[in-house]
Amino acid sequence: MAEIFIDNIRYEYEGNAKVLQFALDQGLEIPFFCYHPSMSIPANCRQCLVEVGMPVFNRETNSYDLDDKGERVIRFFPKLMTSCSLDAADGMVVKTHVTSELVRRAQKDTLEFILVNHPLDCPICDQAGECPLQIQTYKYGPEGSRFEFKKVHKPKRIQLGPRVVLDAERCINCTRCVRFTQEISKTDQLTIISRGDKNYPATAPDRVFDDPYSLNTVDICPVGALTASDFRFRARVWEMNQTPSIDITGGKGTNVDLWVRNNQVLRITPRFNGAVNDHWMPDAARMAYMAFNDHRISRAHLVIDSKPVLTSWTNAYETVFEKVQQVGVKNVAVFGSPHTSIEDNYALDKLFTNLGHSGALFTTHLIEGSGDGFLLTDDQAPNTSGCRVLGLTEIKPNEVSKKIAKADVVVILQDDFVGRGLIAKDDLNGKYTVYLGTNLNDTAHAADLLIPITCVAEHAASYVSVEGRIQRSLPAKETVYSSRATNTEMSVGRLDRFGTSFDNWVNDQNKVDCKPAWEIIADLASRFGFAMDFPTSRALFDHIASEITSLSGISYDKMDAEQGIVISKENVTTTA
Amino acid sequence: MEYTFTKEERDSIEAICAKYPERMAATLPILWFAQDKFGHVDPDVQKLVAEVLGMPEAHVHGVASFYTQYYKKPMGKYVLDVCTCLSCHISGGYDMLHHLENKLGIKEGETTPDGMFSIQSVECLGACGYAPMMQITNDVFVNHLTPEKCDKVIDSLRAGKLPEFEAITMPQHDKEVS
Amino acid sequence: MSIDWKSYKPLLIPQIKGLQNLDVYEQHGGYGALKKVLAEKSGAWTTDNVINEVKNSGLRGRGGAGFNTGLKWSFMPKPDGGPRYIAANGDESEPGTFKDRQIFEYNPHLFIEGSIIAAYAMSVETVYVYIRGEYRSWINFMRKAVDDAYKKGYLGKNILGSGINVDMVVHSGAGAYICGEESSLMESLEGKRGYPRIKPPFPAQRGLWGRPTTINNIESLANVPLIINNGADWYKNIGAPTHPGPILYGISGHVNKPGVYEYPSGMLITDLIYNVAGGIRNGKKLKALIPGGSSTPILRADQIDGIGMDSDSLRTAGSMLGTAGMVIMDEDTDIVDVLWRISHFYHHESCGQCTPCREGTGWLEKILHKINHGDGEMRDLDLLLDLCTQMEGRTVCALADAAAWPVRYTITRFRDEFEARCKNTVYALS
Repeated sequence: MAEIFIDNIRYEYEGNAKVLQFALDQGLEIPFFCYHPSMSIPANCRQCLVEVGMPVFNRETNSYDLDDKGERVIRFFPKLMTSCSLDAADGMVVKTHVTSELVRRAQKDTLEFILVNHPLDCPICDQAGECPLQIQTYKYGPEGSRFEFKKVHKPKRIQLGPRVVLDAERCINCTRCVRFTQEISKTDQLTIISRGDKNYPATAPDRVFDDPYSLNTVDICPVGALTASDFRFRARVWEMNQTPSIDITGGKGTNVDLWVRNNQVLRITPRFNGAVNDHWMPDAARMAYMAFNDHRISRAHLVIDSKPVLTSWTNAYETVFEKVQQVGVKNVAVFGSPHTSIEDNYALDKLFTNLGHSGALFTTHLIEGSGDGFLLTDDQAPNTSGCRVLGLTEIKPNEVSKKIAKADVVVILQDDFVGRGLIAKDDLNGKYTVYLGTNLNDTAHAADLLIPITCVAEHAASYVSVEGRIQRSLPAKETVYSSRATNTEMSVGRLDRFGTSFDNWVNDQNKVDCKPAWEIIADLASRFGFAMDFPTSRALFDHIASEITSLSGISYDKMDAEQGIVISKENVTTTA
Repeated sequence: MEYTFTKEERDSIEAICAKYPERMAATLPILWFAQDKFGHVDPDVQKLVAEVLGMPEAHVHGVASFYTQYYKKPMGKYVLDVCTCLSCHISGGYDMLHHLENKLGIKEGETTPDGMFSIQSVECLGACGYAPMMQITNDVFVNHLTPEKCDKVIDSLRAGKLPEFEAITMPQHDKEVS
Repeated sequence: MSIDWKSYKPLLIPQIKGLQNLDVYEQHGGYGALKKVLAEKSGAWTTDNVINEVKNSGLRGRGGAGFNTGLKWSFMPKPDGGPRYIAANGDESEPGTFKDRQIFEYNPHLFIEGSIIAAYAMSVETVYVYIRGEYRSWINFMRKAVDDAYKKGYLGKNILGSGINVDMVVHSGAGAYICGEESSLMESLEGKRGYPRIKPPFPAQRGLWGRPTTINNIESLANVPLIINNGADWYKNIGAPTHPGPILYGISGHVNKPGVYEYPSGMLITDLIYNVAGGIRNGKKLKALIPGGSSTPILRADQIDGIGMDSDSLRTAGSMLGTAGMVIMDEDTDIVDVLWRISHFYHHESCGQCTPCREGTGWLEKILHKINHGDGEMRDLDLLLDLCTQMEGRTVCALADAAAWPVRYTITRFRDEFEARCKNTVYALS
């Protein structure tokens, strides 16, 4: 074990370590801009400077030289060093701003230089509130500026690509975006052009920044130089609640954060998970938020004379009960879905097997060639592996129409068969179709009874990725029936802890009249005469884990603590 | 605008690439090759260079924009780079610059309307002992400038004749016997 | 200490007509050092012996940093079978410097011979000669000389039957002073924007394409055949003892006979100005000089008595030898204007990679422009000095230091001239 002293405190370390990352791992604070743990180290912002020295090893005495106080003599390097690129060495002595006036001066000077040409855009800049430059200037920077000249002007609000806006004046040339396209997404679409204080990032002339991961550069840009055009001027960061969740547009199980204000999900950003998606997510997955807010099925609808009519939960359950009794449970086609959670699929399957049905079917949603070996998968659904773990009967996509043809009542959970082209709208003629779903899609429009269920933004539920990792979402959005106050699964955010009664406002029209599918199915079960009640999805999952061997020992708490758990491979056949 | 290389030119390009262990190293030589042929490396030329090298277009664009000698757009037939740095600065470099600006009716950074001349004020060209001086289109140096010499050079260039290379020996050789 | 320069006969660029032609070079003993070394590869001239000879000669790099050349060569690790490189730095862009072009034009084979010997000593098989793009005429001279050397078998495979292979590639820069910095030169050779690399690792550990590399100045390599032919002891006795050897002095500015002069190191500055370069032109008096290129601190006329052109002597005067590119300024020179133009140079040449240099060089120029145009205030001078402190030692490469030193020392040594230009307003600095 080697030792290193940072601000007079001794630490032990093993192997190779860079001083900055090591310090950050210990919970110490050293300011920086250009460093990123997942990319190469450029050491060009010069913000992470520290004072470094090494003890003097005396070859003759075979020990370190000591001064008259008995302390090791430390020979400090003549210049300050960037801690991000500095290799830790046994006995190294490091002084940060905590113990070094020189380092404090250097940090202030670097920030003064960065601010020389940086435009005072904070009032109109989307980055405000989550801006490392703002934060570090406040903590380590100069009080005012001594610069009294015209700042260098560069192109502003350029549509760099379909989703990214560039403001070249704000750029501090950390090169994170360029390195991202070179090292992570490997499209090489960005470069720095020009020289000196005229330089800024750009694409090749007449080329657009349409990298499928382009929005990650917006996340890692430490200032407001790269911003998302979709989110431009939408909301201030401090007005939103941030909730951890899982991406449901594909099978990778990318960890995300949902940002909510006034009960609308306004943006989705990646959440770090070293085993799944690191710090990244695909651009396509960020657009999912629109489906959480708009075109929702809100309140149950009964189709009477070809027109959807609002109805009550009781009426909806009654209708289902009647229709199933009418045709007999064997003539009901029941479809679960890889597009929804373990809990929902389990409940649906359990309800019908308890009624003597053979159990829910499901089919996969694969688009060959859409996977890229990184974060996009051929699998368009987040829980295909989960359906298999539960033992739902898997059928091929082209078998769906056959199963429907043989049935008189069709129950579909969250799978748009009509929109996917697996069946035609007319295939449902003469069959009573019940659609439990989140959005008004083509299948919903073809159904006879619409039952609204919660989307991933509104419930805590678990999903198993194509690699067999089970992870769970947390509710970010209130429904008519659950609010931040009553729903214990909703994370406690900054506004909950420190906000006033004027923060966290919610207009009622943004609340969708829906319930978790498993809760609806439990109510249905009691109409059918047996109990399937669970107080929360957490309790339901614990029950499921006790029944399914590959899930045994797993719980929401365990998933949270370990950032997802890979369940045993024997029971999971993965599709990439 | 469409820019292409002939088969022979592509062969020459491959021979240049072969001198380096990695293809990216040929970026500067091939940009020069392209500029020597087309007179500049504007965006379309840069795309051609990227294609022939197999390098990302953004990379070639970043490199071309870093180095001052690559012309990012078509320039005048003759580009007059007048040095105004340090030694030339204190030896009348700016006087020569202004003389040329007045004579040609343009300011530094501009091109004459007939497309014949561009003037640029540049940094040290490495001819400090022969100041003031200028370089013509990235090629020959014209040293020991005076207003008269500037005029003669302009006249010569208008007639399509580049000045001769000026060989300058060490002054101490002049008094020694070989 | 006086140097006997009056009887000095140039060795780097001897007065021999047509020396740039290979046959003339051979007639005068050219490539003799190379032949000597290759003939004694296992005896007197093993690779280690060559390196030690160069180290003991005291030859210090002529590119400006003045690091012992042989010592730098010894940093190359033991060969591991993979490629190794020498990059000869011909990017000569430091204002006031115009000496390496003389070698390209008048004695290219001396440099080529020195490079081949260096390549042999460091077990290198490819030498890249990086010449600044503006030196188009001299790139052509070098290409011809290299071609001739290949034809005669001094370059290429199995040189003179020795089993040693050395290839030389002439590579043109494209207009960037920063590419004279050794790690920026490597980036530029690799085909990228010339951003200097963070050190460590150093070129000998990880250089061109990740392989061990040594970067030497053209003039440094040209000295190598002289050392091999005449011995380290002979070389040590030329010029100043701690910085020996012949030096190509580039004298420019307000002298009667500007040009490149070859004399031993350690020449008195006064000798060079008055006895070699014919004194100040138009009968004027000397005001100031920059001894070794714009990055070296300026000296006033009253600071140069008894100071010789070698590292130690110049250090006592408060400056540096640099490239020995001397810029002489007479009594009519506007020092404020000169300093502004120097700051403009560094602002133009900053690569923009790291914060203090990118923003600092621009800010320095803007303040000096303001002072130069008569709008300066006293507090601007203190601000300039403060910014110098903020830039020095904080950057990836030394360009920020090179930009800060002229500002710092010119203001310090000509303070009254700057103060006379500034309005006497005194505000509190924030």
